[in-house]
Amino acid sequence: MHAVSIENLLFSWAGQRPTLDIPGWQIKQGETVLLRGPSGSGKSTLLSLLAGINTPQSGSLNLFETAFSNLSGRQRDRYRADNIGYIFQQFNLLPYLSALDNALLACQFSKKRRQRIAEQGSSAEATATEMLQRLGLNSTQIEQPAHTLSVGQQQRVAAARALLGAPKLLIADEPTSALDAEHRDTFIQLLLELSSQNNTTVIFVTHDAALSSYFDQHVELNTLNQAGAQS
Amino acid sequence: MIRLAIKSLMNRRASVVLTVIAIAVSVTLLLAVERVREQVQSHFANTVSGTDLIIGARTGQTQLLLSSVFHIGSMTNNMSWESFVDISERPEVSWAIPMSLGDSVQGLPVVATTNAYFEHFKYGDKQALEFSQGSAFASDEEVVLGADAAEKLSKIIDDEIIIAHGSGGISFSEHEEHPLTVTGVLKRTGTPVDQAVLVTLHSLDMIHSGEHEHSEHDHHNEAPAESISAALLGLKAKPLALRLQRQINTYDKEPLTALLPGMTLQELWKTLRVFEQALTAISAMVVLIGLLGMLTIMLASLRERRREMAVLRAVGAGPGTIFGLLLSEALVLTVVGAFSGLLLLYGLQWSLAGVIQSQTGLIFNTTWPSISEWWRIALVITAGFMLSLIPAWRAYRQSLADGLTVKI
Repeated sequence: MHAVSIENLLFSWAGQRPTLDIPGWQIKQGETVLLRGPSGSGKSTLLSLLAGINTPQSGSLNLFETAFSNLSGRQRDRYRADNIGYIFQQFNLLPYLSALDNALLACQFSKKRRQRIAEQGSSAEATATEMLQRLGLNSTQIEQPAHTLSVGQQQRVAAARALLGAPKLLIADEPTSALDAEHRDTFIQLLLELSSQNNTTVIFVTHDAALSSYFDQHVELNTLNQAGAQS
Repeated sequence: MIRLAIKSLMNRRASVVLTVIAIAVSVTLLLAVERVREQVQSHFANTVSGTDLIIGARTGQTQLLLSSVFHIGSMTNNMSWESFVDISERPEVSWAIPMSLGDSVQGLPVVATTNAYFEHFKYGDKQALEFSQGSAFASDEEVVLGADAAEKLSKIIDDEIIIAHGSGGISFSEHEEHPLTVTGVLKRTGTPVDQAVLVTLHSLDMIHSGEHEHSEHDHHNEAPAESISAALLGLKAKPLALRLQRQINTYDKEPLTALLPGMTLQELWKTLRVFEQALTAISAMVVLIGLLGMLTIMLASLRERRREMAVLRAVGAGPGTIFGLLLSEALVLTVVGAFSGLLLLYGLQWSLAGVIQSQTGLIFNTTWPSISEWWRIALVITAGFMLSLIPAWRAYRQSLADGLTVKI
């Protein structure tokens, strides 16, 4: 089964020339993909399509055999809540919630995620605590408001939030750009380790080609996207 | 979602607390205006009951009512004792209380009257006056005090007091030569009677004549006074009141005024209604300002909260959820504000009740909020809710446009 399947996808922002023109792209379920592209190559746009914030003008974008681009806005929000984990570059957390509450946020919006945790015979709180501990936060840090944590700790809480409840797809938008080399490597290793446990497909966006050794597939957006080539 | 809204609000404590205070104070004001109005009306209505007609020299009805019953203002003209006797002896009159007003003891009104006052005067729900100590005066050297008057002058039964001529707190001509003995203290009534210093008509006459160095004045005159300020009349049958009023208003021996207390009070309220409405309008404006303050703060916060919205959208919140979040926040603010306002109102009422009573004689009953007060609160909350649609809508649009990528 394909996690992501794109055919003849065309997307342009209102009144502008196409930003994205992708004839075809497939990612198998469980695969980890490093997507590299310089800024301005349509990276953010592609991610907003994959996350269901925007829909392409033509062509199809399927996620796990679901015609994602044909769903309504509300259905896409629901699908994202249930099936997609998303990590930002930084500022991933609600500063006023504790690390634990932040990690539980995605489960609050998704019954399916809570069900999946329940099927494994655990509660969301217990799983989140366990996951945060594995990511290296001690029990006091878990109860602390998010804004008191270091950037590295915040990114780890974000990873826990994205992966809690076993989503099928993880989208990480340059999550290590604010981390130093040492933290970066441990973070990626932990992220991929946690993802593989649930057979989560990973799309990891970065401008740093040096990280490609961690991933199954390395894709350059410029080779995928024909929109840049035409201009 | 309410939980998330509350936690988000807690994060912005300072501005949230200010907003809640603004709303609370404005709600307190809105409710207080109505409460004071109601209490004043019922207080006034309770002050006199069972009196069918009030008569006095020709003057405005409101002036006659205010001075005779509420001891507010004074009468410029008196009616003659002959006229009073003439009217009070008419067959339809069951009882009559003559009163001479205008003097004071340390700011307390002196009411010169007869024993008919203690017998026939009724207040509230036709309650008669009762004595907490002693009894009515038996001679011209005796005085009866209202409950507050006794407290303020710190006099009890058998104490002596001096009465001066002239109204108001400062008296220019105090005369030591007429000390009166307290013979009775009245039970508290919650009406202006509590403030009154009651003496006999003749006793007041003596005080006045005392100013003229005991001129040849016939103390054994049949009439206890040459003239009186006003008289309260009770009739044998209420329907006679209108006819008697007309007869007194057209009395040929001297110009007199007669009024029906209930009707005159109604007229008084009518004149005051514009004033009340203005007060209510102003307090409504204050509420609106409080709510606009909330609107301003919410709109201003939207900009810095774009990141928060993006995080929520990333975990699956739709723009509708963002909309709902903002509405819940506003709802929490207005509900907390409105109820703090209610608490503040009770707090003020409780702490100021003593002061208000001693200053104005008004007794505020601490009652549960009335239906109309609940309506006002509901109106405030609804208005807050409606106003919050604006920031909610903007957040909705903003989160649609931003999606997950926020460029700040």
